[in-house]
Amino acid sequence: MSLSHEREDALVQKLKDNFPADIKETNIIRRARLEVTVAPEKIKDVAVFLRDKLGFDHPNGVSAVDYNRESRFEVVYHISSISIKEMRDLVLDLKESVPRNAPRVGSLVSVWSGVENYERESFEMFGIIFEGHPRLEKLFLTDNWDGPPPLRKDIRFPTD
Amino acid sequence: MSAPPKPVPLTTVESTETSESGAQTLTLSVGPQHSGSGHMRLIVEVDGDIIVNVAPDPGYVHRGIEKIIELRNIIKSIPVIERPSIIDASNLNHAWVRSIEEIQGVEVPRRGQYLRTLLNEMNRIMSHLYWLSIYGVFLGHTTMFMWPLGDRELFIDLAEKLTGARITYSYLVPGGVRRDLPPGFAEEAVKRTEYFEKRLKEYDRIFFNNPLFTSRAKGIGVLPKQKAIELGCTGPTLRGSGVDADLRKDEPYAAYPELDFEVSTRPDGDSFSRAMVHMDEMRESCKIIRQIVKKIPSGPIRRKAPIVLPRGVAYGRVESARGECSFYLIGEGGDKPYRARYITGSYRNMAAIPAVLLGNRLADMPTAWWSIDYWPVEADR
Amino acid sequence: MSAQRSAQDQDPVATLAEGLSIWVGKLSDLVKKVVDTGPIRNVINWARMYSLWPVNITTACCSAEFGAASGARHDLERFGVLPIGSLRQSDLIVIEGTITKKMAKRLRMIYDQMALPRYVIAMGDCAMSGGLFHDSYSIVNGAHEFVPVDVYVPGCPPRPEALEQAIIMLQEKIRRSKVYEQG
Repeated sequence: MSLSHEREDALVQKLKDNFPADIKETNIIRRARLEVTVAPEKIKDVAVFLRDKLGFDHPNGVSAVDYNRESRFEVVYHISSISIKEMRDLVLDLKESVPRNAPRVGSLVSVWSGVENYERESFEMFGIIFEGHPRLEKLFLTDNWDGPPPLRKDIRFPTD
Repeated sequence: MSAPPKPVPLTTVESTETSESGAQTLTLSVGPQHSGSGHMRLIVEVDGDIIVNVAPDPGYVHRGIEKIIELRNIIKSIPVIERPSIIDASNLNHAWVRSIEEIQGVEVPRRGQYLRTLLNEMNRIMSHLYWLSIYGVFLGHTTMFMWPLGDRELFIDLAEKLTGARITYSYLVPGGVRRDLPPGFAEEAVKRTEYFEKRLKEYDRIFFNNPLFTSRAKGIGVLPKQKAIELGCTGPTLRGSGVDADLRKDEPYAAYPELDFEVSTRPDGDSFSRAMVHMDEMRESCKIIRQIVKKIPSGPIRRKAPIVLPRGVAYGRVESARGECSFYLIGEGGDKPYRARYITGSYRNMAAIPAVLLGNRLADMPTAWWSIDYWPVEADR
Repeated sequence: MSAQRSAQDQDPVATLAEGLSIWVGKLSDLVKKVVDTGPIRNVINWARMYSLWPVNITTACCSAEFGAASGARHDLERFGVLPIGSLRQSDLIVIEGTITKKMAKRLRMIYDQMALPRYVIAMGDCAMSGGLFHDSYSIVNGAHEFVPVDVYVPGCPPRPEALEQAIIMLQEKIRRSKVYEQG
C-alpha cells in the first residue's frame, strides 16, 4: 500500500480552486486522513460541493471539541465516500470554529441527513446551537436535566 | 413527512392529531421495559395498524463514557471502553488501542496482530449469536433463543482459555496483547469451528428456510441503498442493502491483509437480507479463525509502549460486529486524552430506525427493528 | 328534618358495617397467624421460591451474563426462573448493571407495579455501588438508593454461576421468611 499523499493533495487542490478565500487551513495528518478548516458561513457550500462533485456521500460522525484555553468550540464533520470504492478508506474532517460564548452554527442536516443525531448530541453536551436542525433537544441526558452541558472542559462533577 | 411526534410523558397512550385518512392517529410509547434488548424507548405514531412516525428516545443507559475517559489514563480507560458492547468487547478495545498507537507511533509485532484478529473474530461470532438468540425472544421462537446461546458457550470457553475472562477481556493494550496462546489452543479452535459450521447448517434448515420466518422477515423493514449510505449506516445494516463496504477490506488493519475471506452482501435491504448477512459473517469468521491458528507467525506479542499520549490527532476505526466503531482522539501530552470522541456501530445505525420502521405494521416492528442489530447500550455509551 | 331522619336511618347500618369490618379484621389476623405457622407456611414458601418469575428487563451490560445464564448451558429455568412478559405476574426483578438517572425513575415505576411479594436482586458492581462508572454524571450509585434489595451479586459482570448462587440464596431467604412479611 503506497504511503504517498497524491490523492489527498489532489483533493486539497480541488477545494482550494473552488473556494479560494474560504478554506482557512488544511492538514494531511497521514495517508487517508485529511483535515479542512472552513469558515462557518461557508461550510454548507463546501459540504454540498464535497457531496455532489467529489463523491463524499457518507457521514461517519460529528464531533465537538472544547478548546477552552482558546475560547472556542470546534465542530468536526467526519465524512467518507462509499460509492467511490478507491476512496473508501479516506476520512475527511471538515472543521469549523465557533466562539465559546456565542456558539451558533448552521446545521448540515440538509446535506447529509445522517448527521442529525450527532448534532443533537453536540447541542446537549456542549451547548452548541445548530440553526436549521429539525429537532434540537435532549437526546441522551435525563429528561429533567437542569445542569450545565456536561462535556465542557470547565464542568466537573463531584464524585461520591 | 410531518414533524416527529412529540415525546409522550410517562403514560403510555395519548391520541393525537388526525392523519391524512381522516382518522385519528395514536401515539404509543414502546419501552423502556420490553422483552429482549436493552433499554430504549420508541415513540411510535400509528394510524390503525400502520406506523406513520417513529422517534427513538435513547439515553436510558447513557453513562457518560466520553467524560469518564478524560478523567482516567489511557490504560485505565480500557475496561470502560469495552463495556458499551460487552459481547463485542475486543473490537471496541481494538479501536481504542489503534487510535492510541497512531498517535504514539508504535508498531505492533506480527504475532500480536494475529492474536488481536483472533479475538476479534471470535467476538464477532459471539456477538452475532447473541443477536440471533434475542431475535428468538422477539419472534417468540424459544429454540432460536436457546441454541445460539448454547453454541456461544463454545467460543466463550475458547476466549477464557486465551484471556482468562468470559466476556470482558481487556486483552488488547497499546503495543500488543497481554497473553500468548496457551498450548493446545489451535486444535481446540479447529475442532470447535468445524462443529459450529455444522450447527450453522442446522440453523439455516430450521430457522431460516422456514415459512414462519420468511413470511415475517421478507419484504419487511426495507432500507434502500442510497438512504443507507446517506444516513451513515454501517456494518450488516449497510451490507444488507447491497453495499459491500467492510473496513476489513477497504482499510485493512491488524492481520486482515494476509487473510482470505469474503464480504457478504445482499441486495434486497429487508430484514431477511440482514439476517442472512449475519449468518454469512459467522461462517467467514470460522474460516478466518482456522487460518489464523495455522498461519500465526512466531515472535513477540507486545512492544512496550509508554503510558503517555503525545500531542496529536487520530481517527482510528475498526469493523466491529455491528459496524464501524471509531475514535476521534486528541492528545496533548500526559497520560489522559484531551478529547476522545467515541462513535459506535449502533449509534450510527440509530439513524436508520425511522427509515426501517415507517410504513410497516406495528406487529412487524420487532422483526424490523432487531434486524438492524441496534444495541442500546452501545449507542448510548 | 329529613336530614336528621336519614342520619338516624344510616346510623344502625353504619354501626353494623363498622362492627363487621372489625370482626373481619380480627378474623384475617387469625388466618394470618394460622398460615404463618407450620405446614401451610412451608407449602406457600415452597411454591414461591421455586417459581420466581423475573421481569423481562435488561438494564445494561450485565444482561449479557443474565442472557447466558438463561441459555442452554446454565439454564436458569431449572430453578424455576422464567422471564415473563407481564409485570403483574412477576415476583422478581433483577437489576442488571448500571442504573442511569433516566432509568431509575422507570425502574421504580416497574417495581411499584409488581404484585406482592416481590424480591430484588442487584446484579453486578454497578447495581451495588456504581461500580466502574461511579464518577459518571448520569448514574445512580447503587440500586438500594430507590428500591429495597434482597441479594447483592458482585462481579463485573458476575459469572452465570454467581447468579445461580444468588437465586439459591434468595430461595433460602424466602424459605425462612413469613408468608405475610411484605403485606
